[in-house]
Amino acid sequence: MKDLLAKINNTAVQKFGAQYAEARAQKLFRTMLTLKEMRVEAAKQGIENGVALRVLVNGAWGFASVGSFDNEILEAAVSDACRMAKMASSRLKTPIKLAEAKVVDDRVELKPRKNPVDIQMEEKIKTALTVNQTGLGFDKRIKSCTTDYMDLTGTSLFANSEGTNIEQDKLYVWGRITASAIDEGVFTFSREEIGSTAGYELFDEQAPEVLGEKVAKLAIEQLSAKSPKGGAFPVVLGPNVVGVFVHEAFGHLAEADLALSGGILASNMGKKIGSDLVTFYDDGTIEGSFGTFKYDDEGIETQKTLLIKDGVVSGLMHNRETAQKFRASPTGNARAEDFRVEPIIRMRCTYMAPRDQTFEELVENVKKGYYFKSFRGGQANLDGTFQVGIQEGYEINNGEIGDPVRNASISGNTLETLHKVDAVGKDFLLDPGRCGKGQTAFVSDGGPHIRIKEVVVGGSA
Amino acid sequence: MAVLEKDKMIGLAENAVKTALTIGAAEAEAYVYEGQATNIGIELGQISKTNRIIDRGLGIRITVNKAVGFAYTNIIDDAAAVESVVAKALSAAKASKSDPDWKGLPQKKPYASLEKTFDDKIIEVSSEELVNVAATMLDAAGHVDKRVFPIEGGIGNAYISNAIANSNGISGFDKGTIIECSLATLAKEGGEVTPVCFEFDASRNYKIDPVWVGKEAARLAVSALKTKPAETKSSTIIFTQFALQDLFGYTLINAVKADNVQRNQSPFKDKVGQTVASEKLTIYDDGLFPGGLRTWSFDGEGVPHQKTSIIEEGVLSNFLYDNYSARKEAKESTGNAGRAGYLSTPSIDTTNFHIMPGNKNSDEMLSEVDEGLLVYYLQGAHSSNPVSGEFSVVATPAWKIKKGKIVHCSRGVMLAGNVFELLKNVSVVGSNERQMGQLISPWLQVENVRVIGK
Repeated sequence: MKDLLAKINNTAVQKFGAQYAEARAQKLFRTMLTLKEMRVEAAKQGIENGVALRVLVNGAWGFASVGSFDNEILEAAVSDACRMAKMASSRLKTPIKLAEAKVVDDRVELKPRKNPVDIQMEEKIKTALTVNQTGLGFDKRIKSCTTDYMDLTGTSLFANSEGTNIEQDKLYVWGRITASAIDEGVFTFSREEIGSTAGYELFDEQAPEVLGEKVAKLAIEQLSAKSPKGGAFPVVLGPNVVGVFVHEAFGHLAEADLALSGGILASNMGKKIGSDLVTFYDDGTIEGSFGTFKYDDEGIETQKTLLIKDGVVSGLMHNRETAQKFRASPTGNARAEDFRVEPIIRMRCTYMAPRDQTFEELVENVKKGYYFKSFRGGQANLDGTFQVGIQEGYEINNGEIGDPVRNASISGNTLETLHKVDAVGKDFLLDPGRCGKGQTAFVSDGGPHIRIKEVVVGGSA
Repeated sequence: MAVLEKDKMIGLAENAVKTALTIGAAEAEAYVYEGQATNIGIELGQISKTNRIIDRGLGIRITVNKAVGFAYTNIIDDAAAVESVVAKALSAAKASKSDPDWKGLPQKKPYASLEKTFDDKIIEVSSEELVNVAATMLDAAGHVDKRVFPIEGGIGNAYISNAIANSNGISGFDKGTIIECSLATLAKEGGEVTPVCFEFDASRNYKIDPVWVGKEAARLAVSALKTKPAETKSSTIIFTQFALQDLFGYTLINAVKADNVQRNQSPFKDKVGQTVASEKLTIYDDGLFPGGLRTWSFDGEGVPHQKTSIIEEGVLSNFLYDNYSARKEAKESTGNAGRAGYLSTPSIDTTNFHIMPGNKNSDEMLSEVDEGLLVYYLQGAHSSNPVSGEFSVVATPAWKIKKGKIVHCSRGVMLAGNVFELLKNVSVVGSNERQMGQLISPWLQVENVRVIGK
């Protein structure tokens, strides 16, 4: 396979004059389950083989994806990609160039304690049934419980025309549990996600019984919750909400492709855009974390990237193309969901660094505000507008946690809001997530508890 | 473009079904998919990338003792690989659990012939021409205003075909084409940056207007430059299709899926025949809509597409069924089993969710609003409560309407409420319908929506 990929890259360079060529051959195996209540809706397994080819010709990209390892098919695909890139290059004003990269020859083998491939389908179904059974049994007002499970394993072989050769194992174990409850015409819904790159031992750390109960409890608690009042309030955010806030409100703007697209960070490099308490990282090196890997899909080794330190913008997340434009080094953030798509800049594990305050200290000075503990969705815009939906939240009255509220969200402008972070806790927690940017990426995010002086809360009361 | 022919596709599906029955499946269903797509991409204001994807595969669903197993592969030109995937589906079914509500795979029914879903011209268009169309769109945007910056977009064509066969004798093939151009822009002035504005044109036939897309994407961005804050109060809102697609996609559409109704996850449970929306609203799910982006002759289980009434002048009339949920109520499937290619099992989905147009065009709608907001795009609709329909989202941006005219733009305006209340407060239905993903809809004017300003 290694020789085949080298040959294809060679065709691009020798025959079609490509400045750069890369090939990524993948074999992927997936197991997926969907359980609704005690019914196994589907038990699925699948195999995919495919190659992604990417070439840079006259400063324009050509990309082709085929579901085959056949020499002739790959030769045809690479000639297609080169021909089309050449055609697109006729309109270029600024030809694309790539930052230098180290030539790597490596084999990354994963040795999970419990490889999901070795776990029988029966065992996986049993685990998911236990989650649903516990969820449904928690309270009779729980009306439905759904568990989706997926494990993805396989290998990715990357070779480029500069001589880099990397064979890397892939391993992801993921689950999502949702529950709904009804009482006296009130409908509630709750969700929890788990994920790991370590192995099936995830379910030893997160016991199925505990997961089921946790989700059910969230749905039940919301039944008696009220709608929050809309308007500007001080808020205390839990690590789960801080994570999605860091990811959405800041992380996307720190993706160098979006910064170049007119996002507000490009003009703020080295400038202070937040309070002294604000330090963010994007880190691909945390063992077992859902956003962790050794090399990205351009063959660049992953790293811990400092994005903002004590309120000052310190770095962006780069691929080889944007690194060249910013005269920076690639940071190992170029990721592709699979062989059907090209690598783009994605986050890994994005988090806020903890400081020194206790949860009690964060809450005690809030007269009238909210404590938002877990999120449901979030989204960012290039102008710096962010929105984070809240799944679990409470009122804060005179420094005390009060009644639960449901279906709140927070919104604001990133640059204004980061200045308003006025207290940061000493605890720290990461949660797995999936991020959509045309393709799906497995990521994690998190941080400590924090307090924001003022943010707009969207409530219907 | 070399594509798999009808006979080859059906042959693959029928053969997989036959193999499954031979090795011990009680029932079997095979779905074969082929997609070929070419895309010319715009990034940072220039055409700088191209993309060509060929994706083919087979998914097979098998039952043993009323337990369902599924397996897929994209290695379909190798008989041994196909046999092995059939065996995997069987082993998955054997590992699974018997389902007393399983009443079998669907039976064979005739398919309607379709209009305007396949166009040779889309397949034959050259890459040179696609590059030219993308350049035309970019130029059109550039001519509107210097402050406009096209971020990303492009033009792409696609050929999609699918074949299905099952052990009840279903055997079908359908093919279609689609072409789409789109442009995302923002405008910059001084230190000000607008939210991302977006336009597109998509069609099953080679009939798109790149100049309009470029101009409109640019016009929207420029008009979002000068802003004033919005007040916190209840307000009249005109929602465009972009906003409706987002909002309804995460709420209303869940509520009309029969499995959600059966599982007590829909506020519409037990409400068939009751008024659930303004009498101005009539909604169909129309899988046969001529030229619809989701128009096909059959669904993911080989059941013919049809037109199903959902809401008739405000009265709830029907839910959307796949075969499983229909049989559970001793009903017939409405042809709403969706599939995300060969990797997925069928699950209930809309086809073309058609909100029937009224008789006021966009100018008339705007001119009759004394005070309100025009909302194009929403941020955070996916964080809505998918069961209760409660939402708390940001309009990015909203345009203020005063005495029938758009007067300025507002940013960071939040809207909060409940979709099922919103349906009852629809006061005007526009005539300006267009399709966006699963939704075909005109603008909708809604009264009394909670607006949270700054």
